[in-house]
Amino acid sequence: MSPAAPDRSHDKKAPVFEARGLKKEYDDGQVQALRGVDFQIFGGEFVAITGPSGCGKTTLLQLLGALDQPSAGTLTYRGTSLAVMPDLAAYRAREIGFIFQAFHLLPTFTAEENVQMPMFETGRPISERRERAATLLKSVGLEHRLRHFPSKLSGGERQRVAIARSLANGPGVLLADEPTGNLDSENAHAILDLLSRLHEEQAMTLVLVTHDMTVARRASRAIQMHDGRVVFDGDPAQLPTISAI
Amino acid sequence: MTFFIVVLRGLLRRPVRTGLTLVGISIGIGAVVALVGMSRGFESSWTAGMKSRGTDIVVNSMGSSLTPKPFPASVRDRITQLPGIAATSTLLVELMGIENSEMMIVSAREWGGFAWDNLKVISGRLPHDAAERAVVLGTTAAEMLHKKVGDPLQIETEELSVVGIVDGGAVVENGAVILSLSLLQEIMGTAGKINIIDVRVKPGTDETAMRRLCDEITQRIPEARAEAAGEHIRSSQGYRIINAMSWGTSLLAVLVGVLGVMNTMLMTVFERKQEISILLAIGWRRSRIVRLILWESALLGFFGGVVGVILGVVGMQVLERTPAIRGLLQPDLSPSLMALAVAIAVVVGILSGLYPAWRSSRLHPGAALQG
Ligand SMILES: Nc1ncnc2c1ncn2[C@@H]1O[C@H](COP(=O)(O)OP(=O)(O)O)[C@@H](O)[C@H]1O
Ligand SMILES: [Mg+2]
Repeated sequence: MSPAAPDRSHDKKAPVFEARGLKKEYDDGQVQALRGVDFQIFGGEFVAITGPSGCGKTTLLQLLGALDQPSAGTLTYRGTSLAVMPDLAAYRAREIGFIFQAFHLLPTFTAEENVQMPMFETGRPISERRERAATLLKSVGLEHRLRHFPSKLSGGERQRVAIARSLANGPGVLLADEPTGNLDSENAHAILDLLSRLHEEQAMTLVLVTHDMTVARRASRAIQMHDGRVVFDGDPAQLPTISAI
Repeated sequence: MTFFIVVLRGLLRRPVRTGLTLVGISIGIGAVVALVGMSRGFESSWTAGMKSRGTDIVVNSMGSSLTPKPFPASVRDRITQLPGIAATSTLLVELMGIENSEMMIVSAREWGGFAWDNLKVISGRLPHDAAERAVVLGTTAAEMLHKKVGDPLQIETEELSVVGIVDGGAVVENGAVILSLSLLQEIMGTAGKINIIDVRVKPGTDETAMRRLCDEITQRIPEARAEAAGEHIRSSQGYRIINAMSWGTSLLAVLVGVLGVMNTMLMTVFERKQEISILLAIGWRRSRIVRLILWESALLGFFGGVVGVILGVVGMQVLERTPAIRGLLQPDLSPSLMALAVAIAVVVGILSGLYPAWRSSRLHPGAALQG
């Protein structure tokens, strides 16, 4: 990756995320999406979160990305509880890169402009924004698509733009919610390669939600969920495959 | 890409809707410019008329009509000896239908008074004396009545002859039929009645002295009021009604524009819920979202204002040429009125955007991103 890889060696030991008794209810408690989740995620880990549809994976990732708040329990980022973090917008803009299954690009902006969007909050001058967006798009192999609107891009290309956007402000953590869910297997492979390359080359912490076992096995660690609880946390090679169906 | 581009892109995503909203607000702003411009033009035209008649102070009694109420000419004697007054000149000014014109200014002037002095004869001559059964026409009046020197002109039941065409140096002067005071009094059967005394003050009279003089005159002539030329129109009830009506009508039109902008901005927030959630998810502050919406609506207002000013100016020029208005006033095309109109439009845009912006700020980063 061309933007200088930040030195993250200092936080290798302290957990990046720590969840304790994390619960999330929807609709006044009628839906219990998370029923008490505990884990620690350390800097530089590649964690796959798996589990059947509806088990709470997206909910968990949204809590990690501060897109939503837990109903109970605590979630800390590098030792600070997200509940008391003074500036969640800055947290979302700088610390976290979020990648969605449905890409979620802005349709009225070009690839390059989409990548620039998060940079508005970090006070980069215009020329630097444009340059950096171009560099990031180049690093995901889209240097020839800068001026294309999302509607003119293939699914794989859209997800690459979304990945470039998630890197806009040089976050230390990537949160990816089924990033290959809407892609054919060839594109899915390429996107996974890209994500693992980012993880390796930039020592980024990668939390990737998937219900694809082959994807999960590429991770350094797997957390399996079922009905709002963690039912397995360990080496992906030992994932109990049956329950994932 | 600048933030401004993001704002513009928001407006351009629905060009037809943005265009229609813009038309809505520009009609309101156009009405402001045209109607207020007309009524201000009325004021400034009369003021200019006073100035070119050489008047510093106007003594008259403006009721609710557009022409002042008549009073006896003899009251003038109460003020001629006042120190500070250089000269006085009495007039009887009426708005009346003449031949095929529905409303013309008829300005009858005391023979020998200074009100005749500034008339520049373009062709023909001024009347020989107070008794000659003659009129002179301002240039616009001549055009409107299709008269040239030597033609007859019917006022009420009396046939007079046009002896001269004059340039009076102001729209209302050029739009006027000018004749001797005693002649009009005779025709209208209002002997000894006037409705205006023009007062010229001694050179070097400053503003405070003017105001003191006005008070003095008003005290001596309770039938009327003395005011510095120009101010008297503003204080007339007729003008106030016109002014209030033009503001009222045009602000009503602006209100319709407000509803249009608000509706558009609400729709834009609702249909962009998902995009706003995405922006929040990638780190945009709510304040930036609010600013985005407010800028969009302000810009909508601004463009509506600019288009509205153009509409209003075109509308005024059309109105100015209508027979009912021609020669009575020159519309106010001042930059200050146009700037005011655009400012109103921008304020309207921002106000209309407040509620939609507040709605946008209630959106949640995770809300639209499930799945
Ligand atoms: N905004 C919401 N309102 C109500 N229920 C929700 C909401 N989001 C998720 N849920 C419910 O919470 C549970 C977990 O959902 P989710 O985290 O999306 O699961 P997964 O991503 O593992 O498929 C599901 O039963 C889902 O229907
Ligand atoms: Mg999900």
